[in-house]
Amino acid sequence: MDIKDLLQYEKMVKFDLPESEREWIIEQANMLEKSFEALSGIDTDKTEPLISPIEVQNPLREDVAHKTFSRDEILANSPEQYDGYFLVPKTIE
Amino acid sequence: MKNQYYVTKYDVKADNAFALEDNIMVKDGLTTAGSKMLHNYISPIDATVVRKLLDKGMELAGKTKLDEFAVMGVSGDNNELSGVVGAVLDKTCRIALCNDVFGKVRRQAAENCLYYIRPTYGTVSRFGLVQTVSSMDQIGIVCGDLDEGIETLSVIAGHDENDSTTQGDGSLALNSKGPLKEGKYTIGIPVNVMNKTDEKSKEAIKELASKYHTEEFELEHFEVLSQVMYILSSAEIGNNTSRYDGVKFGYRSENYEGLKDLYTNSRTEGFGLNMKLTSIIGAMVLSSGNYEKFYLKAMKIRRQIKEQCDELFKGFDAIAMPLTLDSQDPYVNLALYALAPLCGLPSLSVPLGSNNGVQLISQAMNENVLFDICKGGR
Amino acid sequence: MKYEVVMGLEVHVELATESKLFCSCSAKFGSEANENVCPSCSGMPGFVPALNKRAVELGIIAGLVTNCEITPRITFDKKNYFYPDLPTGHQNTQLYAPICRNGYVEIETESGKKKIRIKQIHLEEDAGKLVHDYRTDASLVDYNRASVPLIEIVSEPDFRSAEEVVAYLEKIQSLFTFADVSDCKMQEGSMRCDVNISVREAGSSELGTRTEMKNLNSFKAIARAIEYESERQITAVETGCEEIVQETRRWDDNIGESYAMRDKEDANDYRYFPNPDIMPVYISDEWIAEVKTTIPELAEEKYKRLTEEYGLSDYDSKLLTGSRKIADIFDGTLKYVDNPKEVANWILGDLSSIVNEDNKPFDEIDIDYEKLGKLIKMVEKKTVNRTIGKKILQEIYTNNVDPEEYAREHKLGMIADTGFLKDIVNKVINENEKSIIEYKEGNQKVVGFFMGKIMRETQGKADPNTVREILVEELDKYKI
Repeated sequence: MDIKDLLQYEKMVKFDLPESEREWIIEQANMLEKSFEALSGIDTDKTEPLISPIEVQNPLREDVAHKTFSRDEILANSPEQYDGYFLVPKTIE
Repeated sequence: MKNQYYVTKYDVKADNAFALEDNIMVKDGLTTAGSKMLHNYISPIDATVVRKLLDKGMELAGKTKLDEFAVMGVSGDNNELSGVVGAVLDKTCRIALCNDVFGKVRRQAAENCLYYIRPTYGTVSRFGLVQTVSSMDQIGIVCGDLDEGIETLSVIAGHDENDSTTQGDGSLALNSKGPLKEGKYTIGIPVNVMNKTDEKSKEAIKELASKYHTEEFELEHFEVLSQVMYILSSAEIGNNTSRYDGVKFGYRSENYEGLKDLYTNSRTEGFGLNMKLTSIIGAMVLSSGNYEKFYLKAMKIRRQIKEQCDELFKGFDAIAMPLTLDSQDPYVNLALYALAPLCGLPSLSVPLGSNNGVQLISQAMNENVLFDICKGGR
Repeated sequence: MKYEVVMGLEVHVELATESKLFCSCSAKFGSEANENVCPSCSGMPGFVPALNKRAVELGIIAGLVTNCEITPRITFDKKNYFYPDLPTGHQNTQLYAPICRNGYVEIETESGKKKIRIKQIHLEEDAGKLVHDYRTDASLVDYNRASVPLIEIVSEPDFRSAEEVVAYLEKIQSLFTFADVSDCKMQEGSMRCDVNISVREAGSSELGTRTEMKNLNSFKAIARAIEYESERQITAVETGCEEIVQETRRWDDNIGESYAMRDKEDANDYRYFPNPDIMPVYISDEWIAEVKTTIPELAEEKYKRLTEEYGLSDYDSKLLTGSRKIADIFDGTLKYVDNPKEVANWILGDLSSIVNEDNKPFDEIDIDYEKLGKLIKMVEKKTVNRTIGKKILQEIYTNNVDPEEYAREHKLGMIADTGFLKDIVNKVINENEKSIIEYKEGNQKVVGFFMGKIMRETQGKADPNTVREILVEELDKYKI
């Protein structure tokens, strides 16, 4: 991972890291990435991925609607709200 | 009340109290998950485990400190005592609940003469637990008295309609698949792991082995367990924590004009360095060009590991694993703690001697065998 | 040089479930902002998704009515991106094992019948809604729609004209509304469509660079946007002064132009991965068979029933199966009056003209089938005549009156007393002797003249057939 790669990943996960952190992260990431190379030696051609330890049929919920929370409860933690909405800076210019 | 292990401490009698890692929710109380990102988050619900314990008449001792989002760093010093271990050790509560994915609590509990029960994946409801690694998250129990831990497990385990991955009823986790063998257990000892461990761990395993029939075996893929664990967990953590963005709840930077700044500054200021590294690696292993090489590959190796475990438990009742290797590097040691979460298996940290212990792992839903081995082995 | 336009469609349809895809919040449209929201669908931590069974079943039905193969083991994947309408920072969708694959629908245009291939249908969750607020000059976020179940129907690039695109959308709309999969209302956003469009020289087998058109909110807008974009691309190819780049373009229907949406500054890498919180769902043949039995009669089958069983004309049957609403009114009314032809006449004649005058789309009207059925029966039994019947229909339509009560209260019952009618007929004949002479001379128009007078005399309450019989009988007496 170089700085160009890191900037790309920062955009993906919405960070704008200070330079000092970038240096450390690149160093750590390169160490980790190097260790990941060990995986390529393992033959997995005939193996299906395991996503979760439980692989039974996912339970299905009956389609019944009910109100569990009031709008006030949902908005209680919001940094900024207006007229029953969450408020953010405008999304279109 | 101030206490070095707690974020919030209530004035209750310790002998009937439980503590919670601060990523388990109590309605109308703060749940920070140890992150600035959730510094002001008031939970709208009680976690299922909390509801169940309160209904049993237990009291909440408080919320304990934790690594940010319970994600252990893989570099540097990791030796600060976990809040849950400290709280039980301090006798401010009888038991403490936490989500130990990365092994820190499993190790520290045994080193401090405590037990840690990490049940089978899907045994205890995750409803109300701040998600970290969804495919490995599992609330477990720190206790000084194993019987109290077992009793607690029987209260909190079982199917919960709010968590579709929960299996069976509470008793299932406490019933071994076969009849208990009253001491006649066969325990598998991974030789390749033992070769890399330190002297004190070897002694602990030897002590346990003296009580039971043991057989040696080679644990496949041990040399890549840390990598597989890190790849899978960082991707899931990065994804699970992308909900923290300053829009709906939690920390919002004061320093923003447009939407882009709001996101970027809130997240950059709100997350600690280890979480940033984790999210970056999470993005890396999932990004196009890397997905097959890293993430898909790790998921496939995860299956091979699980298949090997399924095979092993045809011959062994449990596997004994050391709790430390002959290295101080947390990333190297992660391999020891990865097996149970990767395969969804129950594990029990057993203290043996002073500042020493061993972890026992059995097949899924066979917690009772672990408890029986532990009791007979001491 | 002749050019050919090549298009593929991505159609999003909101499923007609009561609750959302992963929580029990209502999936209804039109509530107050953030009223149908819980911590789970607003992205708060500590919640595990609980998959809606009905959503999976509607996905199966969508596949069955579009001739798809149903995937026996489906999984869900997370698509990662940040936007305020996406509360969890990811959208749950199906990348690796979509619920349906390899289907087709048949469309009919002026140039004949054609099969449009469907590549796949996948289940996913909708995002919330953003509104720009001028008072605060900010964006307001509403999560009522967040996590409402959707299916996306991805076609192969089989379209060559806007006419085909519209025919396909109408077909999808018909299939899904009749099968109860979705209400497919474009104006409410429960059906949305993106068009991938490219041009190439006629006869070429290579595909040109395509653009994706978004924000197409009506069939009209779709047709206009296709015309605009294909012309833009052809001009670009011909003149070479503009290069066609693969991009997403937003259609502005007000000005009739599309423009490139600014490339999101973020790296366009969605980092899909399987959702570990949703285990696989196995769709057995038994389940498919069971679901199949619940599919209501589709337009095509209904058309067959109307023409073959009821003997209705092709034209009427087409109209009566043209939309779910009109078909429901027909079948609903038929339950109360067992006369398909009369019911068809009333709906396509009198009711249609009332709705027309009201300037309302037929699909938005509300009428009580039982009351409509009662009215048709009353006319059939000559309790009221047809003219009065039409007046009562207007009352049912606007005020939801009960036709029997209304006729009684307003004394609109038909005069069936032939003695009484005979008196009136003779009274009118005697008052118009001049017209009798004309009748004697063979002028049949006079009958109409007399009819009008007599009906006016009875305030329209006489049975016109009886009146006509008596009138002709009485007039014929003068012929001798």
